[in-house]
Amino acid sequence: MRRALGWATPILSLVGLLAVWEWAVGARILRESFFPPPSGIWQQATMLYASGGLAGHVAATVARLVAAFLLAALPGVAVGLLTGLSATAREAFDPFVAFIYPIPSLLYLPLAALVLGPGELPAALVCAVTPFFVIALNTALGVRSIDRPTVEAAVHYGATGRRLFQKVLLPGALPYVLVGFRVGLGLTLIVLIAVEMVSAKQGLGALLWQSWEILRVRNMYVGLALIATLGVLVTSGFDAIARRLVPWHQGPARSTRRP
Amino acid sequence: MAGLIAGLAALGLWELLSRAGTLNPLYFPPPTVVGITLVARATGGDLAPHAAATLARLSLAFGAAALVGVPLGLAMGMIRPLRLVLDPYIAALYPLPKIALLPLLMILLGVGEQAFVLAGSLTALFQIILNTYGGVTQIDPVLLEVGHNYGARGLALFRRILLPAALPSILTGLRLGLGLALITTIAVEFTAAKSGLGHLVFRAWQTLAAAEMFAALAVVGVIGLAITRGLLCLQRRLLAWQQTYEWD
Repeated sequence: MRRALGWATPILSLVGLLAVWEWAVGARILRESFFPPPSGIWQQATMLYASGGLAGHVAATVARLVAAFLLAALPGVAVGLLTGLSATAREAFDPFVAFIYPIPSLLYLPLAALVLGPGELPAALVCAVTPFFVIALNTALGVRSIDRPTVEAAVHYGATGRRLFQKVLLPGALPYVLVGFRVGLGLTLIVLIAVEMVSAKQGLGALLWQSWEILRVRNMYVGLALIATLGVLVTSGFDAIARRLVPWHQGPARSTRRP
Repeated sequence: MAGLIAGLAALGLWELLSRAGTLNPLYFPPPTVVGITLVARATGGDLAPHAAATLARLSLAFGAAALVGVPLGLAMGMIRPLRLVLDPYIAALYPLPKIALLPLLMILLGVGEQAFVLAGSLTALFQIILNTYGGVTQIDPVLLEVGHNYGARGLALFRRILLPAALPSILTGLRLGLGLALITTIAVEFTAAKSGLGHLVFRAWQTLAAAEMFAALAVVGVIGLAITRGLLCLQRRLLAWQQTYEWD
């Protein structure tokens, strides 16, 4: 009974709100021009999809998200491993952390756009800056969290180079790396939507901004619903992967770490 | 110390390359020029008012989020039905970048401070709620039982056991929330507002005033650094009983 209540309540809660919303618009308690009914938003979404525009916006955002995340994750893990292992590397990396990381990376867009010219590269780079640091810092923390005797024992038994990395360092740091990935993905999405709002023709952020400029409120709700869905899919999908990869680690389920 | 030297060396190299023209000085003016611009704009120009606008928005957004988020998070942690009802909304809206809500907020509330501040505030709010109620639900039940057995009930149980046990997580939520609110506030200024440091960078982009842009970036960096590092130090001091903390 208690368990049934546990999963039924959230669903009832969501469905209930949508029903009340729909009813309140019908009863003219909510203004339709500001709060179009859920059924109307759904209709608008199917219409936008049928006319061919919507899939392109979704594809553009997903492609940029993947590209920016890879741009952040690959160098992030590499730099993290390096700075986790070597004090010299950490000291060399520190000024970058102090100077570049604290600035919200959207503000690097003008510089990136001026230097790299128009195109997709500046947008992806700008979105990758903050997650790169988050992933690198978390990875370094993960490497340092591995207990020293374990590493020494591995070295003693002849693990060096690639094997040391594959068998000891990566599995040891993995829970932290995954936290970095998760937080990094969320931050990538924030900056990406903002970048699309100011400088893209395609993408969900662009859809939002264009709908604002011509005051198409329904399109705006469609864009918001899709961005929220994307966010939920990315985080829950990511959690599922993380649970399979590090089943031994009961990671901080939804708490985040942004050092 | 080594970090300071490396930082100064990087600035020196930038100065040289920019003066030599290897770095295009149109995009990367030498740090000395940026420094002079920074001082001139801060004393006589509009840098200070713009920085004040950003800080005002940020503190309003964060203050409102903390005032609502901490009590709501505590209530969600202690009252299971409330948690069950609200959790789906938190789960659905937490991953949504709140900057995406800005256009809608500007339609609902008009283009003005209310919409700008609310976008930043919502960003912090969800983070604070999540960390606060996570902090409460993750308390070791034994701790509560012991308190109960020693006669702590109601307010005493809350003040003596629940709140101190959840405090580390609450403070982390506040710190992360403030950082995220800065990101959203800057994005709001960059896209829509006509004042603030984010707007200043946007304007410098449009007018190709690189020195002004770097000066604004430097001020944002100082604010960001104060949030990321300063608050971490404060948190460590407040939680002196916690031996290791997440970031040493």
